[in-house]
Amino acid sequence: MRIPRHLAKLLKAGLLAAAMLSLAACASAVGLDGPASTLNSAGDQARRIEELMAPIFWMGLVVFIIVEGFLVYTVIRFRKRANSGIPAQVHGNTRIEIAWTIAPALIAVVVSVLTFRVQAANAVLPADSLYITAVGHQWWFEFQYPEQGADGQPLLTASDMYIPVGKSVIITLKGADVVHNFWVPKLAGKTYMIPGKVNYMSFTAEQPGVYLAACSEFCGEAHALMRFRVIALPADEFAKWLSQAKVPPVAAAGAGVLNGDPTRGQALFADPKKQCASCHAVDGTAAKGIVGPNLTYFGSRLTLAGGILPNTPENLSRWLHNPGAMKPGNLMGKVITPTWVQGNLTEQDIADIVAYLESMKISVDLPVASK
Amino acid sequence: MSAPTTTHGDESHAPAHVAPAHPSVGSLGVDSRKLGVWAFIGSETLFFAALIVIYLINVPVNMARADAQDPKELLGIAFTSILAAILLASSLTMVLALAASKRKDMRQFTIWHLATIGLGLCFLGGQVYEFTHLYEEGLTLSSSMLGTTFFVLTGFHGTHVAIGATWLFATWLKVRKYPDSPENLMDIELAGLYWHFVDLVWVAIFTLIYLI
Amino acid sequence: MAVIERPHGGVATPQAPVSKEYMGWESWLTTVDHKKIGIIYMVAAFIFFLIGGIEALLMRMQLGTPNNTFLSPDVYNQMMTMHGTTMVFLVVMPFNVGLANYIVPLMIGARDMAFPRLNALSVWLFLFGGLMLYFSFMAGGAPAMGWFAYAPLTMKQFSPTFGVDYWIIGLLLTGVASIAGALNFVVTILNMRAPGMSINRMPLFVWMTLITAFLLVFAFPSLTAGQIALFFDRHFETRFFNPAQGGDAILWMHLFWFFGHPEVYILILPTMGIISEVLSTFSRKPIFGYAFVAYSGVSIGFLGFLVWSHHMFAVGLGPLANAFFAAASMLIAIPTGVKIFNWIATMYLGTIDLKTPMYYGIAFVAMFIIGGISGITLASPPVNLQQTDSYYVVAHFHYVLFGGAIFGIFAGLYYWFPKFTGRMYNELLGKIQFWLTFISFNVTFFPMHITGTNGMPRRIYTYEAGMGWDLYNLISTIGSFAMAVGVLVLVWNAITSVRNGAIAPNDPWDGASLEWAVPSPPPAHNFDKTPIVYSRRPLWDIKYPDLDAAHEIGTRAISRRERMEQEMAKMGEQLGEDHIHLPSQTYNPLIVAFGLLVAGFGAIYIATPFAFIASLIGLFIMGVGIVGWVRDSHKDSPYLVSH
Repeated sequence: MRIPRHLAKLLKAGLLAAAMLSLAACASAVGLDGPASTLNSAGDQARRIEELMAPIFWMGLVVFIIVEGFLVYTVIRFRKRANSGIPAQVHGNTRIEIAWTIAPALIAVVVSVLTFRVQAANAVLPADSLYITAVGHQWWFEFQYPEQGADGQPLLTASDMYIPVGKSVIITLKGADVVHNFWVPKLAGKTYMIPGKVNYMSFTAEQPGVYLAACSEFCGEAHALMRFRVIALPADEFAKWLSQAKVPPVAAAGAGVLNGDPTRGQALFADPKKQCASCHAVDGTAAKGIVGPNLTYFGSRLTLAGGILPNTPENLSRWLHNPGAMKPGNLMGKVITPTWVQGNLTEQDIADIVAYLESMKISVDLPVASK
Repeated sequence: MSAPTTTHGDESHAPAHVAPAHPSVGSLGVDSRKLGVWAFIGSETLFFAALIVIYLINVPVNMARADAQDPKELLGIAFTSILAAILLASSLTMVLALAASKRKDMRQFTIWHLATIGLGLCFLGGQVYEFTHLYEEGLTLSSSMLGTTFFVLTGFHGTHVAIGATWLFATWLKVRKYPDSPENLMDIELAGLYWHFVDLVWVAIFTLIYLI
Repeated sequence: MAVIERPHGGVATPQAPVSKEYMGWESWLTTVDHKKIGIIYMVAAFIFFLIGGIEALLMRMQLGTPNNTFLSPDVYNQMMTMHGTTMVFLVVMPFNVGLANYIVPLMIGARDMAFPRLNALSVWLFLFGGLMLYFSFMAGGAPAMGWFAYAPLTMKQFSPTFGVDYWIIGLLLTGVASIAGALNFVVTILNMRAPGMSINRMPLFVWMTLITAFLLVFAFPSLTAGQIALFFDRHFETRFFNPAQGGDAILWMHLFWFFGHPEVYILILPTMGIISEVLSTFSRKPIFGYAFVAYSGVSIGFLGFLVWSHHMFAVGLGPLANAFFAAASMLIAIPTGVKIFNWIATMYLGTIDLKTPMYYGIAFVAMFIIGGISGITLASPPVNLQQTDSYYVVAHFHYVLFGGAIFGIFAGLYYWFPKFTGRMYNELLGKIQFWLTFISFNVTFFPMHITGTNGMPRRIYTYEAGMGWDLYNLISTIGSFAMAVGVLVLVWNAITSVRNGAIAPNDPWDGASLEWAVPSPPPAHNFDKTPIVYSRRPLWDIKYPDLDAAHEIGTRAISRRERMEQEMAKMGEQLGEDHIHLPSQTYNPLIVAFGLLVAGFGAIYIATPFAFIASLIGLFIMGVGIVGWVRDSHKDSPYLVSH
């Protein structure tokens, strides 16, 4: 009897769904639903990978149970007993051996076919995509929106990558110094950021959210402290973010956080003697450094220091006092040492700079951070 | 079951026998040292293959850069052809040296063997001259991708020529010191084998780098 | 007809060596005996195993809790790099080489390796290379770039200390040792077999050692070329791997993994050989599917050269290249599966004697199945992109390299312990160690599958709380310390057994291969008379002449005696070699190795005046050693000995 096509399709979809659901159930039972889990995906690439993992996992489990079961059975059943003598001296049987050469070959073929289908789907770079360039630095992520800045200039930001939900994005991946690796587990697999080579990857976020991400190729001393977030906003919120982000920020008047004065902070930030502007830039001001992250609208960043600390005035102040202690090996810590700070910045200076940076904000409704 | 303490055969009847004439000829029917040198040459082949591949993939990389240095302009074929001829000639003298030693003609052997070493040294001298010349032309280890890949590849070949020449010289010393050793013939053959390999590598380098 | 060796103390005694005989500790420094060299390899590898284990424990301490500050990131990265480098280059490889050094000549009925002095040079170079690598701790810090040393992190700009240079030169020394050792095994196995020990009668351990030796010969040059280029980049301003000047970071990855993937099989194939012996001996059956097991080893070795880029799926080589390397990697599942089925079939219907080596043999199979399955997921590029560089990979390769290679090594260590030492190990302590290790191994490494799937990247010295990693990391840490206790039990067992263990008979396990025909430990010349081999299980031909010879299922069996007579008729009269010629002890290989070590230090400090002096002294010492070596080889020439 031939199964009608649509029924077969339905059956297949059902099986896949069952496989996925049962895997998800197992997964959450062992706590596999963490905020950076490769399961419970929220992007098309990661979802297709998850759909491929599920059948491979179940096949693997079946092989595991059969082979290990047979092994354990053999060991128990044929263990030496008081009356055991020398067993029959058989050394093989060509037919059996050919059979079990074919068995793993079949599994390999099935896995390969499933694999190549997903690989083909995941290799597509859709035509109508939003382009973003991501650059890996020791130890922070820079994001460039090529034409979205003021007057069609690139819009630069760091550590938080904003994308629209439901629209595919193409990430152009570059490495500034050493090899880094761009990984947003809930949205897509990894791709290296290699100096001297440009890589591309594409994915579509399927749900709004704040997705934890990290560098996953060893890139030196503070590799563990090189993280970022992908913030997927509904299309209209994203447009709102973009329209605000492209307008240079204005320092707020009046007292800011930590009793600092943002206006004074802005002047200090751009003051060459205070070193901030040698590395950092804020759009629309005299600060145009390119070595460190662009700090425009810093107040809206969720984290500081390359994704490792919540962006609070207190953390920022601590950071400015001694960046080297909070993130060993980082470039800023080599210049802004505690001694240098003592000689060049007063407590009030630091409070003012903090107030200035924290005052530059974009107002959008952020999705709930994933878990 | 305890270990076998006796053999069940009657080994006392086995005929007394002498050691085989060629103790190092083993179960494969080849001299062990020859087999070893062949395996070593296999390994060396992969080493040079890696260096040659590195050179070749960097040819277009070099040319695409602003600091490109064109091998066609810098690397003269005429002079290196002479070097190649010298090295090939040394392979011929090596064959003659081995043939002479097989005839037990020590005079001829000495002439051809030392000629081989001499030609090898001529090659090295020529390479030093070429390197100096290129250096003056502005091709250095760090001047371009060409300089980087060219000098490391040809330099390591030159190092191997030097090792080969040292091996040949050591063999000659040994043969002089122990003229009666039955191992001399194999010693010469092995040093020669390696020498031919080094020559062959040069043929590959010459073809791939200078001619093409 | 003499079939096998007479009891020791019989007729032939070795000739008195021509030259001075060294005793005591000097006999170790001057030895050219494959058994002593094997022991030096194994003891050194075991000490490095303890050191690499301590590095692992320090890392597990640091990772036991989130945001821990037990180790600074720089120290953690040094530990991570040294742990990987040590376990690969200074533990598993040399331990396998040591085992093979001791056992292979015995198994094939040879008196020694083909080149005993070269063998001595190899062991000293390995030891000096390892010590040099560790000297970096006292010379400004160990390398901190990972064992895979991806450029451009290894450039002077990013790794300014001498750590990387110690890594390059130290590994070059061990690399020379490995290639020299591999050449020695190739020649020994192909050319030194006893009469009748045809290729298809060799024990599987010998087969796997032969394949491994070929892999070493052809894979190592790629690493050597890469390391030399890296060294030039660091010291002579070349641009091989420096993208800022047109170099190519990916070229290093290709060179490294073209070596690195065969290296994986270099680590695992010998241990597959070990457990093929162990499972067969303790099931009292011949290995099932001998030819399939041997040829699957060959095909694994061959495929091993075609899959290196599966370590580079995330590099962006393009879907086509990734598909090719994925398909080739999947193919490896076939020979691996064949081996596993054959091992289980070897035990099936056998009489399984559950001694400690057998426990480890069975555990090897059980753990290798898990490592193989997680390997299949990693061979699929899309899945790989989620799992690579995460703790999932850490779990995978520890199942293969600890649950596989180290368990296999433990199996071999217990199996041949009586042969090495002449004493039995303590069975109870052995089993305690097994269960401790087996359970804590799984406690340590199984949770890493979960942390990896939960998105934990590799090689991070710290992590945030609340990522779903905390509990599993703590479990891993607890497991690792239990494993360390297991290792201590092993050390205790070995030390007490060597001193007070029961005297071991020649053949404690009723073995079938030739190493069990000689005393434990064997005399320097191994066999009074070289044995003559008529089957794959020569010792059983003698012990059980009336037993059925090994046969296919469903065919009629003849007795071993009958088959032996048939074989004798085919082979004609064979003579065992009773003329014993052993090379004399010599310091010269040690001197040559020492010269290379000194010259190596010169290379590391190439920018200083010290370099020139050290290189000259090193080359001079080497020259002295080589001249002495040539004298030795002339003096000891088998051609010159009168009969």
